[in-house]
Amino acid sequence: MTQLLVGLIMIIFLALPPVAKIMESVMIIHMHMQMPMLIIAGFLIAKVFQERFPGFFDKWNRNGLPGIMLFIIIVSFWTLPRTMDEALNEQSMEVFKFISLPLLAGIPLRDSWKRLEKLGRNIVVILFTILFFAMGWLYVDAPVQLCNNYLVIDQIILGWGFLTTAICFVIYLGYVFFVDPSKYE
Amino acid sequence: MIKKNWQTTLASIIVIIFGFSLFFFGTDGFTAYTAEKARVNKLMQDQPKFPNVTFEDSKGREYSISEFENKYVFITFLYTSCTTVCPQLEMNMSQVYKNIPKKYMGKDIAFLSISFDPDRDTPATLEKYRTYFHSDGETWRMARIPNQKELDSLLKAFGVIVIPDKNGTFAHNSAFYLVDNKGTLVDVLDYKKPDEAAKTIINILNKEEGE
Repeated sequence: MTQLLVGLIMIIFLALPPVAKIMESVMIIHMHMQMPMLIIAGFLIAKVFQERFPGFFDKWNRNGLPGIMLFIIIVSFWTLPRTMDEALNEQSMEVFKFISLPLLAGIPLRDSWKRLEKLGRNIVVILFTILFFAMGWLYVDAPVQLCNNYLVIDQIILGWGFLTTAICFVIYLGYVFFVDPSKYE
Repeated sequence: MIKKNWQTTLASIIVIIFGFSLFFFGTDGFTAYTAEKARVNKLMQDQPKFPNVTFEDSKGREYSISEFENKYVFITFLYTSCTTVCPQLEMNMSQVYKNIPKKYMGKDIAFLSISFDPDRDTPATLEKYRTYFHSDGETWRMARIPNQKELDSLLKAFGVIVIPDKNGTFAHNSAFYLVDNKGTLVDVLDYKKPDEAAKTIINILNKEEGE
């Protein structure tokens, strides 16, 4: 119950016009803070849904594959330069952002993650590592302004945000593959 | 342990279809991944009319778009204090200018650089600026739109987004705009490919002449 409350308060807080406006005025905060926070909010809310409808998730997301695919699709969608611009210019896209990230990314992520085997989890992380390197390279190296609402310098900062996150993923993967935790127990 | 069941398989299929449609409609059928590309696509579909605005050019003359009646007008938007994109934009514009056959110049087509910074870009400033790019001030004019309301209506109609920042500079999108002899926007061209733009325009002018 507490998780539901925290999640809902997070969404409401993020949706407050002044808060949303400030966060969206900086490109990297828009993509690497506001959007992940919306996913985390959904992640927290997920528990209530899982407890209310255990049958639904067991039936329709038994191996976690549909959920994790949905998560990947929604997250990739919001990394497109165009969707960021449209969220700022069109009210309906902004609403869709606030709905899709918690409900269609946060909730499925939580439900799917524990259903996925180790291999599945690693594949997901590898996939995002590749995606983030690609997006980082795109945003850092693009000779043109990709988003009409943001300056090129914002774009380069965001690119480095992607690259550093991708580097963190690589470190994590290195840990997973080369360190055997049982040795240290 | 088999963890599959038909519902999960069906859910996977639904998710894939949903994802495909989301990206398909979100990018206009995988053609526009940036808002700028979407904007250009939409402009070329809508073909807006050039709004009624009053220019003041580098010679201090005032006129509206009807000054260019029966001519194609090749347009760029700039401000002279710009140190990044605009000089390159105008350089490329001068390259297009050079590539257009002389017989068309001033008769079938005119070049026009429009400043969106009317406060600083006075006729005197524009008069000086045009010489950097070998604009003659006649067949290639540089002008400002003194009335802010009119300027805004033009920027809006042609989807030019101008964001002022703190240092007196603007972030803005750039392109070549081609308005036909009836005052309708007919093409938006990549300003980084002046040779291609020139080719497109020469084709149009040749066709017009043939008719």
